[in-house]
Amino acid sequence: MIDDVTTLAFDVLVIGSGPAGQKAAIQARKAGRKVAVVEQEKGVGGMCVQRGTIPSKTLRETALSLARLRRGAELLDFKLRPDMEVSSLMTRLDQVVKANVAYLGRQLERNGIHRLYGRGRFVNADTVEILSVDGSRSRVTAQTIMIATGSRPRTPAEIPVDHENVLDSDSILSMLYLPQSLTVLGGGVIACEYASIFAHLGVRVTMIDRTPRPLAFMDADLVGKFVQAFEHNGGRYLGGQTIGSVEWDGISQVITRLGNGETVSSDKMLVALGRVAAVDGLDLAAAGLAATQRGLLAVDEHCRTVVPHIYAIGDVIGPPSLAATAMEQGRRAARHALGLGPGLPSEMIPIGIYTIPEMASVGLSADEAEKRTPGTIIGQARFDEVARGQISGIQDGLLKLVCDPSGKKLLGVHIVGEGATELIHVGQMAMLGREGGADVDLFVENTFNFPTLAEAYRVAALDVWERRGG
Amino acid sequence: MPTVATAPAIDANDPSAQIRAAVADRLAAGSFEVPMLPQVASQVSILASSADADAPRLSALIHRDAVLAGHVLRIANSPAYMPRMPIVSLQQAVARLGLQVVAEIAFAASVQSGVFRVPGYESVLKQLWRHSLASGAFAKEIARARRFNVESAFLCGLLHAVGRPAMLQLTTDAAKALRLTLTPARVFTLLDDGHQEVGALVAAKWELPKPVCAAITHYQDYRRAAGFEHDAMVTFLADRLATHLTVAGAFDETSVRDHAVFADLNLYPDDVNALLAKKESVARTVDAMTV
Repeated sequence: MIDDVTTLAFDVLVIGSGPAGQKAAIQARKAGRKVAVVEQEKGVGGMCVQRGTIPSKTLRETALSLARLRRGAELLDFKLRPDMEVSSLMTRLDQVVKANVAYLGRQLERNGIHRLYGRGRFVNADTVEILSVDGSRSRVTAQTIMIATGSRPRTPAEIPVDHENVLDSDSILSMLYLPQSLTVLGGGVIACEYASIFAHLGVRVTMIDRTPRPLAFMDADLVGKFVQAFEHNGGRYLGGQTIGSVEWDGISQVITRLGNGETVSSDKMLVALGRVAAVDGLDLAAAGLAATQRGLLAVDEHCRTVVPHIYAIGDVIGPPSLAATAMEQGRRAARHALGLGPGLPSEMIPIGIYTIPEMASVGLSADEAEKRTPGTIIGQARFDEVARGQISGIQDGLLKLVCDPSGKKLLGVHIVGEGATELIHVGQMAMLGREGGADVDLFVENTFNFPTLAEAYRVAALDVWERRGG
Repeated sequence: MPTVATAPAIDANDPSAQIRAAVADRLAAGSFEVPMLPQVASQVSILASSADADAPRLSALIHRDAVLAGHVLRIANSPAYMPRMPIVSLQQAVARLGLQVVAEIAFAASVQSGVFRVPGYESVLKQLWRHSLASGAFAKEIARARRFNVESAFLCGLLHAVGRPAMLQLTTDAAKALRLTLTPARVFTLLDDGHQEVGALVAAKWELPKPVCAAITHYQDYRRAAGFEHDAMVTFLADRLATHLTVAGAFDETSVRDHAVFADLNLYPDDVNALLAKKESVARTVDAMTV
């Protein structure tokens, strides 16, 4: 029975207002369709804005600013009040999140997209029931439905996350004070980002993971530089470890017992062992859908599920779980659903990791390139070799160009160092400009502003030039 | 510095109005001394001097008394101890300063006790403690439901009504001076009316953390807690749930649910059910921690 509650009809219904959902909704609306977005939180933006990308990057920027201020304080002989540091971190976080929520809300409004506040649940493949926060229910039918409900932190049952002493990546953002010590479980993006931010703030951070080195999917040289910087800031990475147990001692310390018998104690713990798709309350079965064994939604190359008019986009379909990728998935899925032709998928999706220092990459890694065509040539530039790096004190950076065996064609770019996530786009655009990859000589033959970090491209290209024999 | 509202007009036939006016006058004159009520302070000193002293017992003992807990935090943050970062929890205080120092702080607080004793109102004070403890416990559960840090939520809940015992002292002093008799019901009404303003004074003088000050000052009108709306919202709901639990006949479960704060905190009906299901465990906590 669906006649006892209000039923609204739309062309496109998007469940979730994160990066994927927003872009899908806006694309569909720009195509002239009647569009609604269901969001269970009061503000739009999803976890990206509330607890993910935006807050963590804000925290990072504020941590860097505070570090600069501290250096300035030493030079100018004044002291920063400790409580100012903590309150400035959290106040700025609150301000940025609010500004983003307001901006995204206005964007949806300006585009004429209906916002429905509540939790969505499938009644059948065409109908979604919305439970409002006050308990009232309504129903929405739509010709196309986009599932963009995102993800939430994964917390293994054996780890007692209490959001007080053992925190996840949501609750760590509401800390009232900086602990003296922090154990971070995990070696992925979220773990590394927070571990490096807190180490930069003077917290003694111990990062523990099963893998011998963190961020196993990134270039080993980049990760090596990152770990070096992390340890320089007082951090410690314990790789190749299993967790025996985690418990709070009831007084002041979280005790972590490792598989090798070692014990690590800290004031607080951050559990960052990945994220799981947020599909629990959707009643997927009612729509003829089911999650995979890994809890994700399976989709084709157009982000379409097994039910042809239902699409899934963003974190619910799994890696790479990047906001930029989610946006593109949303845009492309909407265009496909509306028969607009999504165009060729981008092969050059950059990866940006907001650790301190930043890491970024685009294209093939050295290993991938070597597997395709043995004899890969790699050119490198250290940031301390370029004038801007010396001037700005950014001397722990590294830029790597991965080239084919001829040393001509650029196949990938990998960067670690402050500014990496912006600098990577130079390489990305160069690779997009020529079919099959740019000619490395492009970086030698053209003029860059001086002094800039982009000059590292020229230095690395010259390195390639030398390695291929001039 | 928070300001204290003065009573609008004094009705000679209205004892409550006369008391309010007298309290307002005293506050305006600045003759009100921020009180201490270390209910378990003496036990802290006994424990600290015994061979059985250990951090869990000390922490548990201090947690039984909201005012003492606040004083320990204030002292731990004072220049005498110069913490690198503000200390906002007893857990943190023990971690940073060590067992013995915290015990000393608690002992020092106990030495200053006695200022805040209101003979004849022990049952009122006991009820206030139970309400504070229940508020702290509920605040933790609300924070957990919203995946926010529960540590600050507990402090906000525990200390949100710290102005009530202070008001009790002021009110009974005023009643005595005016030769008026107070019924328990009138006492509670008077405390309810003015405790936030007095609580703000206490919070400011104790230099409590900003979110806790904001929660004490604005929890009943949480939208005014600029920058700390969430802390104040959690505190308001915790207070409401605690009242439901600890004040017989205050309001039933249906009335508890009937408030916009649930929507403001984005708590859906099943979240609310889960919170209300915590009543028994909160009650057990309150019983265990009540002296």
